[in-house]
Amino acid sequence: MAVLNKKKSGVSDEIPTSSMADIAFLLLIFFLVTTVFPKDKGLAIVLPEESEQVQVSQKNILHLIVQPNGMVEVKRGESQQIQTLRAQEIEGVWRQEVAANTNLIAAVKTHPDAPYRFMIAVLDALHSANAERISLQILEN
Amino acid sequence: MAGRKGFQKRSKASEEIPSSSLADIAFLLLIFFMVTTVFPSDRARPIDWPEAAAAQKVDEKKKNILNVWIEEDGKIYINDQNYSMDEVSQVVAPLYAASDRALVISIAGDRDTPYILMDQLQKELVAAGVVRVVFAALLEQQMQRARR
Repeated sequence: MAVLNKKKSGVSDEIPTSSMADIAFLLLIFFLVTTVFPKDKGLAIVLPEESEQVQVSQKNILHLIVQPNGMVEVKRGESQQIQTLRAQEIEGVWRQEVAANTNLIAAVKTHPDAPYRFMIAVLDALHSANAERISLQILEN
Repeated sequence: MAGRKGFQKRSKASEEIPSSSLADIAFLLLIFFMVTTVFPSDRARPIDWPEAAAAQKVDEKKKNILNVWIEEDGKIYINDQNYSMDEVSQVVAPLYAASDRALVISIAGDRDTPYILMDQLQKELVAAGVVRVVFAALLEQQMQRARR
């Protein structure tokens, strides 16, 4: 009969479970390492102290006026000439301007109704261009 | 010496330290610490993050970072509590003093918040004497930027 012919196999018929914990730990460590919390990143800025008022000559200011539609009006110091640009183009403008005048200060004036993200886009461009002297203001009429 | 050896019984117990339950003990410890750890209550608000390519890691210890959440409609949350705009400086000032002026404020603002609210918030922080501020943002990939 078939029963008599069957050889006893040396291989265990159980699924090996001894390495299961190792696999679980590997997964755990993988997820620990790959998890990123977004809130730890951002654009740093130093706020002025209260009552700190510095007089800056107009020729050292680059006015960046952020409009509610996300366009940026660039006005150089004393001149009344206005150039309308997209936020991404500010990086190049800043590099050009700061090469001509190292004392330049970026005055970011945002329209009260403009969404926050447009101001961040301009600030991002300035940070990308390694600008350090930045002043954040609200646009007053 | 040789005579004593002859009397020694051969033990049936294994010489190895049983290691099969090691993982169970490790997991028990892990679960114990997971359950007993208390995080300072600051749950993330559901905001749409702004994106910035130049976003950098905040160079400060986690306990010295205070998140100020501001939602699209101007609701402000600090440590899971809702505050109105003019309460912010009174809330932040004592925390700032307690941290020995090392506190970094992370402004986590919704991307569509009108800027007038962000400006009011900055004025409140200036009134509290805060100097170091970070505008929290997601890291924008350069590839993403090229596509826009």
